[in-house]
Amino acid sequence: MLNNLKSIIVKKLNSPQKAKNWRFIALGLFGLLICSIIFSIGVGYVNIPVSNILGVFLANIPGLNRLVDFPVSPLETALILQVRFPRALCAALVGAGLAIAGAAYQGLFRNPMADPYTIGASSGAALGATTSVILGASITVLGINTMPLFAFVGCLLTVFGVYALSRVGNKVPVQTLLLSGIAVSILFGAIVNAYHSLFPDQFRQTSFWLMGSFSYTEWSDFWNALLFIVVGSVVIYMFSRDLNLLALGESESTHLGVDLERLKKILLVASAFVTAAAVSIGGLIAFVGLIIPHLARLLFSPDHRILIIASALMGATFLVLCDTLARIVIAPSELPVGVITAVCGGPFFLYLMRRKKKVDAS
Amino acid sequence: MVELKVDNIDCYYESTKIIENISLHTQTGQFVGILGPNGSGKTTLLKSISHTLKPKVGTIILGDQYIYTMKAIDVAKQMAVVSQGSTVAFSFTALDVVLMGRSPHLSRFAIESEKDVAIAKNAMAYTGTLHLQDRLITELSGGERQRIIISRALAQEPQVLLLDEPTTFLDVANQLEIMDLLKRLCDDKKLVVVGVFHDFNLAARYCDSLILLKNGKIVATGNTDILTSENIKTIFNIDTIVKQNSMTKTPYIIPLSISHAAPKRSLTVHIICGAGSGSSLMKQLIDDGYNVTAGVLNLLDNDQETASFLKIPITTEAPMSPISEVAHNNNLQLIKKADFVIVTSFPYGYGNIKNLDAALYAVDQGIPTFMIDEYAYLIGLQDYTKGQAQEKLQLLKNKGITSVKDEPALLAALNCLAKKHAGHKTIAPQPVTTVIAELPEEVSP
Repeated sequence: MLNNLKSIIVKKLNSPQKAKNWRFIALGLFGLLICSIIFSIGVGYVNIPVSNILGVFLANIPGLNRLVDFPVSPLETALILQVRFPRALCAALVGAGLAIAGAAYQGLFRNPMADPYTIGASSGAALGATTSVILGASITVLGINTMPLFAFVGCLLTVFGVYALSRVGNKVPVQTLLLSGIAVSILFGAIVNAYHSLFPDQFRQTSFWLMGSFSYTEWSDFWNALLFIVVGSVVIYMFSRDLNLLALGESESTHLGVDLERLKKILLVASAFVTAAAVSIGGLIAFVGLIIPHLARLLFSPDHRILIIASALMGATFLVLCDTLARIVIAPSELPVGVITAVCGGPFFLYLMRRKKKVDAS
Repeated sequence: MVELKVDNIDCYYESTKIIENISLHTQTGQFVGILGPNGSGKTTLLKSISHTLKPKVGTIILGDQYIYTMKAIDVAKQMAVVSQGSTVAFSFTALDVVLMGRSPHLSRFAIESEKDVAIAKNAMAYTGTLHLQDRLITELSGGERQRIIISRALAQEPQVLLLDEPTTFLDVANQLEIMDLLKRLCDDKKLVVVGVFHDFNLAARYCDSLILLKNGKIVATGNTDILTSENIKTIFNIDTIVKQNSMTKTPYIIPLSISHAAPKRSLTVHIICGAGSGSSLMKQLIDDGYNVTAGVLNLLDNDQETASFLKIPITTEAPMSPISEVAHNNNLQLIKKADFVIVTSFPYGYGNIKNLDAALYAVDQGIPTFMIDEYAYLIGLQDYTKGQAQEKLQLLKNKGITSVKDEPALLAALNCLAKKHAGHKTIAPQPVTTVIAELPEEVSP
């Protein structure tokens, strides 16, 4: 069924109608994202009807508050504007960022198994972030928190390290990439756990964060990460056609005018930017960067100009819904959102492995 | 038109020199083939021309510029490269892949216009792949995929096309189609095509000029006449027969197995053959270390060509002529010196009936003489001497000629006999039947 759907979409998305049809799909995905955010704000320990949510928003937009002719409760206003809305936006931002970084890694390594988590980038960022906590370096300078910077450095070093470790000659084979990525993830995870045992006081709040959670997110987290993720994503998007050419093969892409070494450096840094910012808000959230670009490729197109935007919108929607689930599934307690994404992503990952094996065998 | 000029280049990987002093000047519409064994520097040469590996010495000029002073994207506007065995990582549609060829002509944020799509579709029409435009590249067969990759190269609108072993992994029909396509590009579109090939017959048939490489140096360069037995022996160290394909008027090369030096024997085998019936035995016996002689063969006969190639002493007769008394006597002289005689020639007419007399002579002399069952049967079937050949055949059988099932059985029997008489200068006549009985199970007739 998926294949039938795919063949229809392929025809619809084929040039030159591609650009035109693509706009509708992007608009549809954006609509889904908005709905998921409203849904996420509406449900929880206290359910809020959609009309009240819209009322609160309108009442707080200068100039439009005249349209609201019913009283909005201050409690709901506070709940929406101070808790649920920033939290949903953080989830959306992190989901979009992880999915974009995943798409970039997959394109760059020409390998659908790559994502911020499997290649160790997330763990590197987490190690950087926790190290900054220990050093007491997590301070705010000129309104910008330094923790994302540490996360960024950790992430960047890890990605270059894993890449160098798994490179065999001119290629980065799937097996070595995954193996070294996972080995590095486990090693760094152990170091982070050691930090927790050694310095329990500094990490009282962050153990939940490490499993992937938006429990403590505030507006400041959103604004801190926004710049990193937007800048990184825009840079990645600028090189989306180069990523397409790279799919033809490394040497082919250089013969088509791509400056490969420069492209690799730029994309690794930009993806590290995005991953680090995502990790410093949401912690270690597995599989979003893996399954979302994959689904987007399967549903729409492997063309990175489409894929990156589709991944961003789908990743944002997916993580907003996962976070909502994490809040309500054992309410009034919460599950870490990383648990939800792992439960969705693990089986999918195994399915990809099986499929890849079949393709290799045939 | 853009021209490609390579002058005296040396290329290194690290500090190892891979190719040395290579020059290549191309003309519009020329199809150049680079041939050579694995590791001879063919791919390195192509890499160097394709702006990937800068030569330490020498210059490469594309159009009116030194290629290594140009930006990769500007090179890509004039020169397209089809690398070896490339795979596409994700399931792009065929049209998407071909459209990527337009990339060098587009600015970073431009989207392919209707014109770009038209160029891509034209390229696909040219390679006969337009019907595949909506198919996923990952689902295409090897031949289809290769033609899509070439379409992508054409969408670049290049004037020079470089290909690294474009026909490897393809079946013979697809190999011919790709080569036909490349030739058409040279003839119709006046492209310069430079390709690395493994199959010298394919290259000989399609290329206008060839470069033969060995150890990074040019062994020979020029038109297809340079494909001589000697040159091929130099670069591949194999024996070949070079003929002319009478249909295409191009050299046609038949490789023989690499001559392995079997221990030389002091035994001589004479083959009475003709019309190609003895050629394979000549080769096998030589490989097994026997001295081989043959006769009587008409000049221009297949067996005569094989014998002269293998440098076997033979008695000959003029083309299309019956065996003369002189030739017959010369043949008997060779038989007298032989330790074994094999009869393979058929059918018999008045022209070559004397070859059966020569066989009778061998049997009378007590030289172990062999005949393969199938040929004996064919002699009976195709007798153009009104029964004379059949009579002589019967006589041979009565006198004790040894019948063997096929060539492997014959070689086994010979080797068995040869072992028995190793060291003996002369071979006493043996009741051959006992020898046959001693043969190992699987080769006994």
